[in-house]
Amino acid sequence: MDLTTIGGQLLGTIPLGDIVLYLTPFNLFMFAGALAFTTLIAISRTETQVEAEFGTLKDKEVKVDLQEFKIRRFLAIVCGLATAGAMITGDLFNFTLFVTLIGIVNIGIVSAVRQVDVLNAAFQYGLIAMMASLPLFGGAAIILASTGTLSLLELVKIPYVTSMMTFGSLLLLMGIIGETGVAPFYATKAEMFRTPGSPFILIIHLSSLLVIVRAIEVLLIINKPF
Amino acid sequence: MNIGRIWNSLANPKRIPRLFALILAIILLAGFIIPISLNDHQLYPRPTPQSQISVLNPLAPYDRGGIPLKETGTVKAQYPKNSLELGQITAYLSPIAIGVKNTTYYYGTSIYSSPGGLIDEILYYTRGFDTILESSILMMAFIIASWVALHFTMRREGEDEE
Repeated sequence: MDLTTIGGQLLGTIPLGDIVLYLTPFNLFMFAGALAFTTLIAISRTETQVEAEFGTLKDKEVKVDLQEFKIRRFLAIVCGLATAGAMITGDLFNFTLFVTLIGIVNIGIVSAVRQVDVLNAAFQYGLIAMMASLPLFGGAAIILASTGTLSLLELVKIPYVTSMMTFGSLLLLMGIIGETGVAPFYATKAEMFRTPGSPFILIIHLSSLLVIVRAIEVLLIINKPF
Repeated sequence: MNIGRIWNSLANPKRIPRLFALILAIILLAGFIIPISLNDHQLYPRPTPQSQISVLNPLAPYDRGGIPLKETGTVKAQYPKNSLELGQITAYLSPIAIGVKNTTYYYGTSIYSSPGGLIDEILYYTRGFDTILESSILMMAFIIASWVALHFTMRREGEDEE
């Protein structure tokens, strides 16, 4: 399966030494989407949760203080930029590094929340992210060893698929699942929807969704099932 | 078993890392029965094992030849047209490195080998973007750790045990 079947016309490349980013309409669309959402997050303020109190007529406001707001906005912007980078990178190892950056920044966003339940979930998520870095980099290393290259533009030209390449991409998929905490682990992240300060929380979901879409493209390029 | 019960048991965040670790362990164990097929046209060429050690080359196993700024060393790039000056500083050694090289045969495998130009060539010239990302990952980790340490996200002494 070549690049144009998945992503549409190859519009150009950005050469940075051995790391060559390539631009297709598919990648550019996700890149622009990630950047637009990051801009929206950068200019927005946190939400305030209003809780009705039982027994009185007062309402309780759950606010995010300024320090917490600042660090979460900063980490959310970094997460958005890393997501945008992961969308257009054309190098497997570069992609895994972007995913790791997303993972560590996500843990940071969650760990800045001042609620015990959220922190418990964040701790478990951190455990998964630590475990996931082994299959993530291990998968990239196995693909490098079995193909001799890391560039996706070269990987797409390799006519054969060995079982070791499939095993490497399986490990890579496990790593991406763990780092971004996608679908099977949404149970962990459901805790975060209820916290005040939601626009920054949403970048975690957006990044994991976009990264898994891009990861599917990368795995199709490596494994060529069609 | 009812699927609702499975979903409910997965909703507990404590179970998720265990499930992940179990699946990962199964995949890693399956890796033992995968036939190893290595590509012998590797991007970064290496000399035959032990060949440099047997001629008592102090830079073994990392000697790639070349004279800094005069003769290029043997370093390959995926896209040679993107890194035209590749190999020019492969053989560069810092003054301290030259001193160590003259005293021992095991310079190449020691920690001192890092000032050599080879790492600069591969890490910072052909794959420079990776280095930027690696250091930004480290920086983010330090920012998060120091923020959490300074602000004590949550004091837990007074919290009731669940």
